[in-house]
Amino acid sequence: MPLLEVSGLTKAFGGLMAVSGLTFSVQQGELLSIIGPNGAGKTTLFNLLTGIYRPTSGIIRFDGNDITGCKPYQSVRRGIGRTFQRTTVFGWEKVLDNVIIGQSLHVRTGVWGAIVRTGAARREERRIREKARELLAFVGLSDMEQRLSGNLTEEAQKRLSIAMVLAADPKVLLLDEPTGGVNLEEIGGLIELVKKVQRSGVTICLIEHKMRMVMSISDRIIVLNYGVNIAEGTPAEVGANEEVIKAYLGARRVA
Amino acid sequence: MTRRFSPERIGWLLAVVVAILLPLFVGEYLTSILLLIAIWSIVAISLNLIYGYTGQLSLGHSAFLGIGAYALGLIALKLHLGFWPSFFAATAISGLFGFLIGIPALKLRGPYFVLVTLGFAAIVGVIILAWVDFTGGANGLAGMPRPNPIPLPWGGQVRFDSLLNMYYFVLFFLVLIAILCDRLVHSLIGRTFIAISHDENLAESLGINTMAKKLLSFTVSAMFAGVAGALYASYNVVISPDVAHFARGMDVLACLIVGGAGTAAGPIIGTFVLTAIPEGLQIVPYLKTLINGIILLLFIIFLPAGITGGFKALALRWGDSRKSSGGRDAAP
Ligand SMILES: Nc1ncnc2c1ncn2[C@@H]1O[C@H](COP(=O)(O)OP(=O)(O)OP(=O)(O)O)[C@@H](O)[C@H]1O
Ligand SMILES: [Mg+2]
Repeated sequence: MPLLEVSGLTKAFGGLMAVSGLTFSVQQGELLSIIGPNGAGKTTLFNLLTGIYRPTSGIIRFDGNDITGCKPYQSVRRGIGRTFQRTTVFGWEKVLDNVIIGQSLHVRTGVWGAIVRTGAARREERRIREKARELLAFVGLSDMEQRLSGNLTEEAQKRLSIAMVLAADPKVLLLDEPTGGVNLEEIGGLIELVKKVQRSGVTICLIEHKMRMVMSISDRIIVLNYGVNIAEGTPAEVGANEEVIKAYLGARRVA
Repeated sequence: MTRRFSPERIGWLLAVVVAILLPLFVGEYLTSILLLIAIWSIVAISLNLIYGYTGQLSLGHSAFLGIGAYALGLIALKLHLGFWPSFFAATAISGLFGFLIGIPALKLRGPYFVLVTLGFAAIVGVIILAWVDFTGGANGLAGMPRPNPIPLPWGGQVRFDSLLNMYYFVLFFLVLIAILCDRLVHSLIGRTFIAISHDENLAESLGINTMAKKLLSFTVSAMFAGVAGALYASYNVVISPDVAHFARGMDVLACLIVGGAGTAAGPIIGTFVLTAIPEGLQIVPYLKTLINGIILLLFIIFLPAGITGGFKALALRWGDSRKSSGGRDAAP
């Protein structure tokens, strides 16, 4: 059984079909890339999967359950984590605190525990702090834990945003252009991180424009154009597809 | 986490000691001013929870203040329950109103939420004024109970009919609520409040049920404001619809902004400054509003983070620039 299954997924903004009749599935453990020209509907697809938008029609199944129409916080709790195209961290918080906030959905301490500072509350806080440190070590930001995250470089913020979603223990991670806006020489390190996340057992859906990167790390690729799935397959299959080449040339985005 | 004897803690301890000793050296009049500062500080702390820490600007806190005051009065006068049952009921009723108003209001974001809270304050004000049989209308209510005397283990009792003892009673609640609020916002729950105030969408995308957290913060905030209202009613013995006048919601906001929203000391410092300056200058009441308006404006323009907030931001910047080695400098 696939981990994530989408059938007939459609999102219309007025007359514009941002996503139109998409059907695909994501297998446990794989790295699936979603590519396509600007405005193809990739981000919209992620917004549908995470409940930010309600689909106009279609069904999303995750881990055996119908999750169509879930609220964003519910979809994370079920195991769908995501990062945003425009990197978002809590800029006025320290790096470590960002990852602590990322674990909020696991917190058991209630108002009483918080006010009285019960033993259980202190223990939970310690545990969450330790887990945050582990996650920072995992993404390679250990030496920055006390820095204000808004002052980090774009690349470090991307790493931090990945640590923040990983804190929610997602089964699948949706990454929206994790190398966007990052210096060329830093991209390799981020790709390594994505692979490391996959190796740790998290399924990955990746939106990317950089074709070399996509071709080298993807297990499978889906190509969107005007909201429609125009090709699907291994990197080799997709790379040889006439329609894909045409779509990219038509959109003047030669990879 | 704060160390046992951090400079911050020592500062707080000193402030409490000064607050305890001060009325022994100043006259009755200044003590009564200090008492009112303590009560309005509680309202400012309650607004700080929902606005300063959770980022939801409520202009309706005059309503919760009024509900707390009138609930204490009505329960004590009509149901003849003693002070403490009335006091706890007043707190609970304010919280309940916060919860019920919060459910529709907090679904709205930004200016819409502000408008709904303002509308709520206006409605509560009108109801108090118009429902003469129940609230006494413009005449208000008289005969609010003072707290029951507390018996001392070595005989005798502490009575609350003196101004000084009432001041200590209010001060106790100010300290209690300041501590409760501080513990709450520094807990794991409090971090979710702060996260929401920074970026609600990001918080939601990390699995935080933002609606539930905002509702929690608003309910607790309404309870605290209700406590202030009940204390005010008990101290003043007489209450009039003025307690719940919606302009008070703005005054409290002004105190919070001047002191520094989202900081522990801000609400108290701001209330103190905005009460002490007009008082010290011996200004007639209607000019007070003008002076406070000017002070508020100056702060919004020159120091939007407020007195405490300004210090905190400086410290944070300074600390971070020492640690950073060529990172991006732009503020987020
Ligand atoms: N909230 C919205 N309201 C109206 N139109 C929208 C909305 N969100 C997206 N769109 C439109 O839907 C289409 C798909 O946008 P989307 O952001 O999903 O593209 P994308 O594939 O992520 O592009 P890019 O590679 O530039 O990020 C675009 O035409 C966009 O203008
Ligand atoms: Mg996009």
